[in-house]
Amino acid sequence: MARLQNRLDEHDPGVFRQRFKILFVIVASVLSILLLRLWYLQIIQGYELRLKSENNSVRLRKIKPLRGLILDARGTVLVDNQPSYDILFLPNRVKNVQEVIGRLEGLYAKKNLPLSADPFPVNGRPLPFVPVKLEKNVSWEKLAIVETASLELPGVYVDVVPVRQYLTGEMMAHVIGYVGEVSKEELEKDTTGLYGLGDPIGKYGIEKHLDPFVKGKYGAEQVEVNAFGKEVRVVGKIEPTSGYSVILTIDAHLQKTAWDALGRRPGSVVVMDPRDGAVLAMVSSPSFDPNLFNRGISHGKWEALSSHPLHPMENRAISGQYPPGSTYKMIVASAALQDGIITPETTFYCDGTFSLGNRTYRCWNKNGHGKISLHRALVSSCDVYFYNVGKLLGVDRLAWYAKSFGLGSGTGIDLPREKAGLIPTKAWKQSRMGEPWQAGETISISIGQGFNLVTPLQLATAYSAIANGGTIWRPYTIRRIERPDGRTHQTFSSEMRGKLPVAKENLDIVSYGLWGAVNEKGGTGSALKRKEEDVCGKTGTAQVVGLPDNDKARREKKLSAQFQDHALFVCFAPHKNPEIVVAVIVENAGHGGSVAAPVARKVIDAYFAQQKEKNRPQIAAAQATAESRGTN
Amino acid sequence: MKFDRRLLFHFDWTLLGMVLGLCLIGLVNIYSTGFSAAETGADPLYLKQAKWILLGLISMTVAFSVDYRFVHRYAYWIYGISVLALVAVLVLGYESRGSQRWLSLWGFRLQPSEFMKLAVIVALTKYFDDHRVSAPFGLRDLRMPFILILVPFLLILKQPDLGTALIIALLFASMAVCVGVRWSAFLSAFASGLLLIPVMWYFLKDYQRERIMTFFSPERDPLGSGYHIIQSIIAVGSGGFLGKGFLKGSQTQLKFLPEQQTDFVFSVFAEEWGFLGGLVLIVLFLSLILWGLKIALHSRDFPGMMITYGIILLIFWEVFINIGMVLGVLPVVGIPLPFLSYGGSSIVMLMTGVGLMMNVSMRRFALQP
Repeated sequence: MARLQNRLDEHDPGVFRQRFKILFVIVASVLSILLLRLWYLQIIQGYELRLKSENNSVRLRKIKPLRGLILDARGTVLVDNQPSYDILFLPNRVKNVQEVIGRLEGLYAKKNLPLSADPFPVNGRPLPFVPVKLEKNVSWEKLAIVETASLELPGVYVDVVPVRQYLTGEMMAHVIGYVGEVSKEELEKDTTGLYGLGDPIGKYGIEKHLDPFVKGKYGAEQVEVNAFGKEVRVVGKIEPTSGYSVILTIDAHLQKTAWDALGRRPGSVVVMDPRDGAVLAMVSSPSFDPNLFNRGISHGKWEALSSHPLHPMENRAISGQYPPGSTYKMIVASAALQDGIITPETTFYCDGTFSLGNRTYRCWNKNGHGKISLHRALVSSCDVYFYNVGKLLGVDRLAWYAKSFGLGSGTGIDLPREKAGLIPTKAWKQSRMGEPWQAGETISISIGQGFNLVTPLQLATAYSAIANGGTIWRPYTIRRIERPDGRTHQTFSSEMRGKLPVAKENLDIVSYGLWGAVNEKGGTGSALKRKEEDVCGKTGTAQVVGLPDNDKARREKKLSAQFQDHALFVCFAPHKNPEIVVAVIVENAGHGGSVAAPVARKVIDAYFAQQKEKNRPQIAAAQATAESRGTN
Repeated sequence: MKFDRRLLFHFDWTLLGMVLGLCLIGLVNIYSTGFSAAETGADPLYLKQAKWILLGLISMTVAFSVDYRFVHRYAYWIYGISVLALVAVLVLGYESRGSQRWLSLWGFRLQPSEFMKLAVIVALTKYFDDHRVSAPFGLRDLRMPFILILVPFLLILKQPDLGTALIIALLFASMAVCVGVRWSAFLSAFASGLLLIPVMWYFLKDYQRERIMTFFSPERDPLGSGYHIIQSIIAVGSGGFLGKGFLKGSQTQLKFLPEQQTDFVFSVFAEEWGFLGGLVLIVLFLSLILWGLKIALHSRDFPGMMITYGIILLIFWEVFINIGMVLGVLPVVGIPLPFLSYGGSSIVMLMTGVGLMMNVSMRRFALQP
């Protein structure tokens, strides 16, 4: 070692010579062991293994898993699986696929059945033992032909593919979404490695959001096939694992009530529990049939859906953006009360018009409301009152409050493609349009017209906050994810997104106003007046185009349906301790009070009827015990 | 730098011949795996591999042209850049099939962990050269080199790439043993290594654990890596003494054999060329290793010897583990067969390594300062 130190440049490898010799012996013997093993496999076992390789052969076949079920809040199954049948061909010695297709066509022709309209593209030279899909989703008749003629069709067999069955169809398509075949782009973006070519994948809604949970895990089996490609026996098998079930917060009965009440008119209904943000129903109309996508939608049908002028694929509840109209007034009222700009006693005089500069703004009631305070202004939805309040408040202050109600940004719901809506400010207009804010625009804003845009879900969330005393919840549609064995995998609970910067007593004043709008004389929402649980609500009529300058123009525009106003109604009930919030929008349908409110009424009635049903056994039991005590 | 004509005279043609021979065998073999593929969308694999081999030859030329002492001087820089590349992989790397190993650079998909193997060799050489005074090393003296390899080891394990991480650890052990380690240090390192196994087990991914378990009992997973091994053994064994012939391996052509072009490339070779082919190939590897050890012994200084030794050991470990895995005597860990497996980064790295060996070989007599 000492020598080594002294001669840094000319080192003497003497020390290492010995080590390298040993190393070489080790390397040589290790590689000899490998050679011995090679000898053992190729010479001693060679004959046996050669036979194995010739007769073999054991193929690996994937077994498709069932996707998890989707159930509503009360355990009703909404989405199920059903078998669909594909015809496959396993090329072996006969490699001519076209010939097999020809024979199949011949057999079909005898029964006057055509080959599938969308024949599966067969391209390239088929690989031996790699199945070629000839036809998918075949009918029972064809299935019978293929099964009985198996001798004429060597290598042709039937494969069972589980496909989704959406039991609720159009009614819940937007929440549940649909499944389609995984696309090239999705495969490239996938980082989990869970997806393969041809696999089903959630494309929209819950199916997309929870796809990794719902999809399940492939099983596989080792199948021994003979020289004709027929299966001889199964050597080993791993069962597939079904996907996790999803339990929604949606109540299918309320959903159906809302869907029926809307009656195919374009619009949306959102029903929410104000106590925690659970979405009880979410309807968007027009809708589409998610079952269409199961085995790949045909080009024509897809074109028809995607180019439909009413956009049936869009979930209006979360991505339809509408001016809130008068439903916005409760925010103006809360803001003004909280900022001390008005008190419940403050009055303004309404003669049917309001002037600012050289422009005149109208109240919906041409005759005016006279001298009016906040409560009556909410009850009769007086525009002039809110013009005055809005002018005092200013656009930026109002926007600040509106944003605290969750408007102008996504609610964070667990569904894809949510839109943010829009709450304008002076700065926004300057940067967006390069023009300063006009005082008159504040006037429009204060009755929910102008640039304001909200989604029905945002309205429901904002009204929930009034109803529950100031909490903004993150709305959610997924209650629970359950493993196939019934154990709970994950439970989702309410999540608070914010608190209103408005005092409880001010919220009470506003919600009393909303109560009046339904229950007092002259209220705009009298359609919701019920004997039992009191409803608080607000109508809205959102103009589709800006305020026309004169009545004539307005009348002309009314002629064409697409310029008609949107009807809105948002309400909650019961007045004390609200349990349910309903937001309704019916597009181009006219006034909120006459069109949207009756829809909400049906939902509210259905909800309380259901609650009563739920409580009945308890009441009966309580009565029974009371009676039995009485007789004693 | 003045180029000495005598260097050309000393050029190691034998080494070049052996390596080109191996590359050629690899190309022919990869051609066979792609032969029965129905659709040929992009370039066939063997052409891609040929391009990588050309790139490797260029890299090899660079590696033997520059005096290896220059490489030695900047060893830590090479190491540092390689570590940075590994960090880059984790941050913005290309993910494929559950692991993140690749970086996209000018349209090339590179695997920095391959180049890390060379970086570890030169960095350890540098360290051992600077600290030869204290050889044989005690446990305390090995602290720094241990940290030196621990960083890339963990980064590669994180990708996760168990095979490459294992190679890095084996390189460290081999090189430390070569410079001389006290018996006490050797034993205690070995013991603590054993103790670390349960800890490592904890950090392994599920699929990695499964693979190791499968090695001990293949029937645990007849569908996953167990299936790989079974099919690989059938392929190798059915080759017999003379093999089934080029392009005639049924296991290969009918795609029973998984991962044909990469980790299981040896079974393709053994099926089609038989025991005779396997014998030639293994003897060729053995000769390469013997030749490398000769170069190491005759190198003119310590760094030259250690670099050559490291590269030879790298080739040895990869050959041993890969073939051992294919023949079912070692667990399935993803380690390519040098010069034969398809993979650009691996081939360029190996050719660069061979270039360094040539470098040492041709400068063994040079008397430049």
